[in-house]
Amino acid sequence: MPRLATLLPTLMCLCPALVLGLTDSQGIDEEARLPYWQVDDSGMSLRLIQRLPDQTRGYFLARKFGASDANTIANSCVFQTVFRNLSSGTEAGPLEYDLREWRVLSDGHEQNLKLREDWAKQWQQQKIPNPAQIAFEWSLLPTWQRYNPGDYNWGMTTFNLHPGSRFDLTMTWRQAGRKKSATIHAIQCAPDIHPENTPGE
Amino acid sequence: MCRCAKLLLIVIGLGLSTTFTWAATPQTLPPVAKVFVAPDFMLQGEDDKTYHLADFKGRVVVLNFWATWCPPCRYEMPSMERAWNKLQGEGIEILAVNVGEGADTVFEFLGSYPVSFPLLLDKDANVIKRYPVTGLPTTFIISPKGVVTHRTMGSREWDAPELLEQLRAMREH
Repeated sequence: MPRLATLLPTLMCLCPALVLGLTDSQGIDEEARLPYWQVDDSGMSLRLIQRLPDQTRGYFLARKFGASDANTIANSCVFQTVFRNLSSGTEAGPLEYDLREWRVLSDGHEQNLKLREDWAKQWQQQKIPNPAQIAFEWSLLPTWQRYNPGDYNWGMTTFNLHPGSRFDLTMTWRQAGRKKSATIHAIQCAPDIHPENTPGE
Repeated sequence: MCRCAKLLLIVIGLGLSTTFTWAATPQTLPPVAKVFVAPDFMLQGEDDKTYHLADFKGRVVVLNFWATWCPPCRYEMPSMERAWNKLQGEGIEILAVNVGEGADTVFEFLGSYPVSFPLLLDKDANVIKRYPVTGLPTTFIISPKGVVTHRTMGSREWDAPELLEQLRAMREH
C-alpha cells in the first residue's frame, strides 16, 4: 500500500492527539454557556471555561475587593478551570500537576501563568483586606495538586493577558511516574465588552 | 484511495470530532498516604453554637471544607444532607467548615441549600491552614480515635451506598 504508507506519516503529524490517545475538544460549556477548551488523556481531564471580565469583576467586588483591583483581576484573562482524575480500573492511579511548569505562548512571547503566590505578594503589598485575600486564594486553582482517582476540583486560572487575546497553552502532568504534556491551541481570553464603549453607540 | 486509507481517515475524523462526555466522577473515598492526628479546633457555627472537634471523639467525623461560591461544594450539599439523615444515630457526624465567609452569607446560602448538619465558620481561614488542603471542596474522614484516614477532593454523592458502607465500616477503626 504505497499510497497509505506515504499518507500515514502525514496524518500522524496532523493528528498527534489521536496517535497519543489524547483528545481535545472545544465547545460551549453547558452550565456557563461560554466557550471551553478541553484535553482528555487516560483518565486526566482538563477543561478551561472562559470567564467574562464583567463576571469576574462582579465576583471580586462582592468579596471586598476595591473597583480598581477587581478590574485588574477581571482583565487578566481568567478561566474557570476543572481538573479531574477519572482514571479507573487497571489505569486507576494518582495524577498531579504543577502550574509552574505550564507555558503560555501568545504573540510569539512565552510566559507562565500568574499564580496564587504571585497575586498574594501583590495583595500583601497593597494591604488588601484579609477576607478579600482569603476569598481570592481559595478561588484560584491550586498551584500544585495531587488527585486520587475520583478527585477533581475547580478554580480560576489567570493567564495575565489582555481580554480577547489568543494563546497556546502547553500543560504538563504526571501519571504513573511519567511526565506527560499536551498543547491546546488558540485558546481565547474573553473580550471585555462594555456597551457604553461599543463604537457607534 | 484504498479502503484502508479511507478507513483511517474516518477513524481520525471521528477522533477529531470527539465531543467530551462530561463523565460522572467515580464515587471513591481514597485513603490518605499517611494517616495523621486530626488538628483540633473550636469554631463558631452558623447556629451560634461552639463546636470543638475533640468533643466528637468516639465517632466517625466527615469534615468538609467548603465555600458558597464553589460549584462542586454546592453540588455535594444535598447528597451530604441525605447522608446525614440516613446516618442519624449511627455514630457518624458531618461538620462542614465554611472558609472565609460570614454568617450572613452562609445563612443566605441555607435558603437555597437547606441542610441540618452543623455549618462551622472559619472566617480567617485559620483552621483550613492546619489541614492539608489546597482546593475546595476537600473532605477528611476522621476515625473515632481522632485520626485522619481518608481524603476526597471535589464533590461526591455522599449518600451513594458504597460511600455510606465505607463510613459505617470506619466506626470499627
